[in-house]
Amino acid sequence: MSHIHFPDGVLPVWLWVSGFIVAILVGTILFRFIKKEDLARRLPLLGMMAAAMVLGASVEIIPIAYHVNLTVISGILLGPSLIFLAAFVVNVILALFGHGGITVIGLNTLILSIEGILGYFLFRLFWRVLRRLTPAIFIATFLALFCSTLSMIGVVSLGTSHYEELIHQERNGIIGFEFGKEREGHQKEGMSEREVNLKRFIAVILPLGFIGWILEGVITSLIARYIHRLRPDLLRLERRTP
Amino acid sequence: MIQLSYLDYSAVEGKSRLHRLSPKFKIIGMVLVLLGVVTMMNLPGLLLLYAILLALFFMSRIPLKIFSLTLYPLIFAFLFIFISGFQIRFILLIFLKALSGSTGVVLLLATTPYPSIFRFLGKFLPSLFVTALFLTYRSIFILLNILEETEHALHLRGGLQWRHPWRSVCNISNAFGHLIIKGIDASEKMYESMVLRGFKNKIHYRGE
Repeated sequence: MSHIHFPDGVLPVWLWVSGFIVAILVGTILFRFIKKEDLARRLPLLGMMAAAMVLGASVEIIPIAYHVNLTVISGILLGPSLIFLAAFVVNVILALFGHGGITVIGLNTLILSIEGILGYFLFRLFWRVLRRLTPAIFIATFLALFCSTLSMIGVVSLGTSHYEELIHQERNGIIGFEFGKEREGHQKEGMSEREVNLKRFIAVILPLGFIGWILEGVITSLIARYIHRLRPDLLRLERRTP
Repeated sequence: MIQLSYLDYSAVEGKSRLHRLSPKFKIIGMVLVLLGVVTMMNLPGLLLLYAILLALFFMSRIPLKIFSLTLYPLIFAFLFIFISGFQIRFILLIFLKALSGSTGVVLLLATTPYPSIFRFLGKFLPSLFVTALFLTYRSIFILLNILEETEHALHLRGGLQWRHPWRSVCNISNAFGHLIIKGIDASEKMYESMVLRGFKNKIHYRGE
C-alpha cells in the first residue's frame, strides 16, 4: 500500500525519470557514509533482509490489497544507508515478478526507503523516550508507513494531468504522442473532475492503508519482540545506565 | 512466491526457441515491450501487444502455474481505477498496460536463467548492486525452505486458526521473527564461505 504498485505507462515519463535520477543521487550520498569493509561484511545480511521483504510482499491480504513490507524492521536491522540498497533490490526483484512496473523502480525505491529510514530514526527516538520496545516499534512503524503512504499519494497527484490525457485520449493512431486543440478543450472540461477523482483515490487508499499500518505495526512489534528475546544484539539498543 | 522454483526450473530446463534465444535479445525485446507499454495510448495497440505476449508465453511451453503471476498486478491496478471516475476505457487501458508489462517480465524470467539476466545487468549497474541482487535471489530460496518448515510446524501444532486471530497473528509474527534470525545466521555462514572462496565485493560469472 505504501509504495506504488502501478504498472508501466501510467505515470508520466518526466516523473519516473526524475524518480530514477533522485534515487541515484540519494544512493550516491548514502553510500558515502558506509565503510567498504563494513559493506562487504553486511552484503549477505542485506540479501537476507531483502529476501525477507520480498517474501513478505508476496503474502497478499487481497480484500484490502495489502501485504506486509517488513521495511521498518529491515531498516532497524540494516541501518539507514543499507536499507536504501535493500529497497532498490527488493523493487527490482518484485518488478521482475510483475509486482509493480519496471519504470517505477526509482520512485518505489525512494518511497520504500523513506519508510525504512524514517522507521529507523523514529524507533531510536521513541526507544529513547519510552524505553519500551513494543510501543516504540509500533509507533515508529505506524508513523513511517503513514509518511510513506502520504509520499506515495504525493507522487500519484503529481501525474494528474497525465491521467487526464489517458482518460480523454481518443483514437490517435497506435501510438499517441501529440494532441490537438480538442485535447486542450478536454483538459479544461476535466479540470473540475480532476480534483474530485484524486480525492476519491485518497478516500479509498487512506482507510485501507490505516488497517494496513495497524497490521504492519502489530506484526513488526511482535517480530521485534521475538528478535529481542533471542538475539537482542541485532537490535543494537543501548543499555539503561544504572 | 512458491512459483519461484517453477520459474527457475522453466528457465533452466525449457527447450523452446525462446529459451534458446540469447539473453541479450530477450532483454532488448523486453525493453521494446516496455517502450510499447509506456508510449501506447490506445486499446487496439495494447490488445495486440498483449496477444503477442500471450502467444509467446504459450508457445514457450511455460508451466501454467506461472501464468497466475502475470495476473497479480491486477489487484493493485483495481485501486487505480478510482482516479478515473470508473471510465471503462481508462480501466481497460490500465489493465492492459499492467498485464502486458507483467507478462513481458514473467516471460523473460521464465525463459532466461537469472544469472544470465544479472550478468547482463552488470554491464550497466555497479557491481555492488548486481552482487546484492544475486545474494537476495539466492537468499529467497534459503528463506523459502525455512518458511516451508516453519509453516509445517505451525500447522501441525494448530498455530493458525481463524477462531483465535490474535494467537494466529502472534504465531505468524514469531514465524517471521524465526525466519529473520535463521536468515541472519545463514547469511553469516554464507559470508564466511564466500570469503573463503575469495569473495571481494563482486561475483564473477563463468566465462569472465
